[in-house]
Amino acid sequence: MSLRVEQSLSQLLHEAFVSLRTLGKRSVLALLGIVIGSSSVVALINIGHNAATDAAMIFKDMGTDTLIAQFPPKDGSSIPMPARLDLQAVRQTVPGIAHIGALTLFSGPIVFHGRTTNANFVGSTPDIKDAMRLVMQQGRFLSNFDANETYGVIGDQLAQALGAPGDPLQLGDRVRINDYLFLIIGILRSQPRAMLMPVQANESLFIPAEGMRRIYATPQIGNVIIRATPGQDMERLAKDVAGALSSQLSDHDADIQVPQQMIDGMTRQSRTFAYLLLALGAISLVGGGVGVMNVMLMNVSERRREIGIRMALGARQRDIRNLFLLEAVTLTAVGALCGAVLGMTAAWLYAWLSGWEFALAVAALPLGVGSTLLVGLFFGIYPAVSASRLQPVEALRDE
Amino acid sequence: MLFRGQHGIVETAGVVMMTDTPAHPGLISLQGIAKSYQLAGQQLAILNDVCLSIASGDSCGILGASGSGKSTLLNILGLLDLPNCGQYHFAGHDIFNATPDQLAAIRNQQIGFVFQSFNLLPRLSALDNVALPLSYRGVSRHESVEQALRMLDQVGLSERAHHRPADLSGGQRQRVAIARALVGNPSVILADEPTGNLDSTTAQEIMDLLLALNREQQVTLIIVTHDPHIAERLERKILVRNGVVQEAGSL
Repeated sequence: MSLRVEQSLSQLLHEAFVSLRTLGKRSVLALLGIVIGSSSVVALINIGHNAATDAAMIFKDMGTDTLIAQFPPKDGSSIPMPARLDLQAVRQTVPGIAHIGALTLFSGPIVFHGRTTNANFVGSTPDIKDAMRLVMQQGRFLSNFDANETYGVIGDQLAQALGAPGDPLQLGDRVRINDYLFLIIGILRSQPRAMLMPVQANESLFIPAEGMRRIYATPQIGNVIIRATPGQDMERLAKDVAGALSSQLSDHDADIQVPQQMIDGMTRQSRTFAYLLLALGAISLVGGGVGVMNVMLMNVSERRREIGIRMALGARQRDIRNLFLLEAVTLTAVGALCGAVLGMTAAWLYAWLSGWEFALAVAALPLGVGSTLLVGLFFGIYPAVSASRLQPVEALRDE
Repeated sequence: MLFRGQHGIVETAGVVMMTDTPAHPGLISLQGIAKSYQLAGQQLAILNDVCLSIASGDSCGILGASGSGKSTLLNILGLLDLPNCGQYHFAGHDIFNATPDQLAAIRNQQIGFVFQSFNLLPRLSALDNVALPLSYRGVSRHESVEQALRMLDQVGLSERAHHRPADLSGGQRQRVAIARALVGNPSVILADEPTGNLDSTTAQEIMDLLLALNREQQVTLIIVTHDPHIAERLERKILVRNGVVQEAGSL
């Protein structure tokens, strides 16, 4: 007796599709569970990915070459920060600094042509422009020669707020803070929000650090912003700058956050979130899988006679098993494809509603479709094996 | 191959016998076959000590009242059911030592079944039904469809190839079933009351077809029937009565 060859693939697929077509409504119901599971996996992975991309974008605006120093007081000390720091000295001691600038922050009402709004007043050293990557829309930024002038450079959003239709805030206009009039010498271009920056440039008026005393009796330095030259080891630079800064301080520490660390932290966080979402998707997939198993078990018991006939015609146990397994997988494959489309649509919709950029997560489709197929395979095994274990005579006897 | 090194010695009922020796003449050889079922805690004997041998090219009728065990005998002959004890050799293969896969292979390649209730798969077209046994041999779909068409042509149904069984008459369905039984070129056709569900004219036609196959292609024909008119047309008549088998000619 010649050796048997496996059933050809085209035969198998043909049979699977014929029986699925006739499975009808019941398979549609089972598909629903699979579609929901598969689409949630696809959607959740993609949404998680988009959220992470969006978070990374925030940091990208600031750049990972930027360091921000804060000065928490040493415990118990109530002595205020000095109004000046010798940044030039820091620049000389620590190599690798491209720009370094100090910020002195205060906020209050600002008046222009009778219109009042609240703004941040930022006492800045001239290098702040490059350290914070500020871009001019009109005019110029503060320079070393403006130290004693009542000049101001205004953020885009603040300028819009102070202006009115027909009466926009322009270069050369004067805005009033308390009793001082500040001459606008520059308007900044609108900046994307930089999460880590202590101040949002769009809502700020930059004035010379020396002039802060005009609006605030005891100005103190709030932050120092440092931009590194390319290719620096940021952790080392942060440590060196912190050391150089604290040598000038008696009652405060110099605390520098490295953006990369925060990005890592946020990535970790969003990953945890994505895993959580993934677990939810997995649970709905298991639910769908149970539905598939249910349909397949009913399918097997309804087709006992067919199984008997097939066995009489020479089907081996594994042929019967493969027949039902393939049906289960084909069923889930249809569900997985519908789920992939639905999931992508959902993720796109979510991104659109959140105002994110929609980006396709590379892993979403293979992971979503693959895991769905595995679920189908897993839950299809039991019905298929139980079908293949039937004795031909028993299966045939069943009317 | 079907034998898995079991050319050894098997003890049966206290007698030491060699298996797979050429001492089993003919295509089918049954020795001391018994079959009983466990029903409601009681042992129900269906067949007792059946000895039967059928040569290639024979045409036999298995006759008996309903409940006499003739269907069980047919199931055993067709390898759909295993006897409890005895010896069964089919075309030289020891059935007791064959794996389920080997039994399936024998059914697929050597036996064609024709059932009283046709047993066509309702989902598949006549053509796909006929092609089904070939698919279990690894024949490609294209080739098996071709052979199935040829076989349907032979039973005079090539025009109905794409009809579902539900759209065919009883006689046509049984012709499809016969085409399916024949498509694999079997050495034996086992028919269980093949004309039981058909009117007399159609029954006549189906019997003509089966006998013609036996005559022209030397296919061994084994028909279970309770109709003496059908039995009349067959060379051998095997009577089953209360689980015991008798050859009518040898009475």
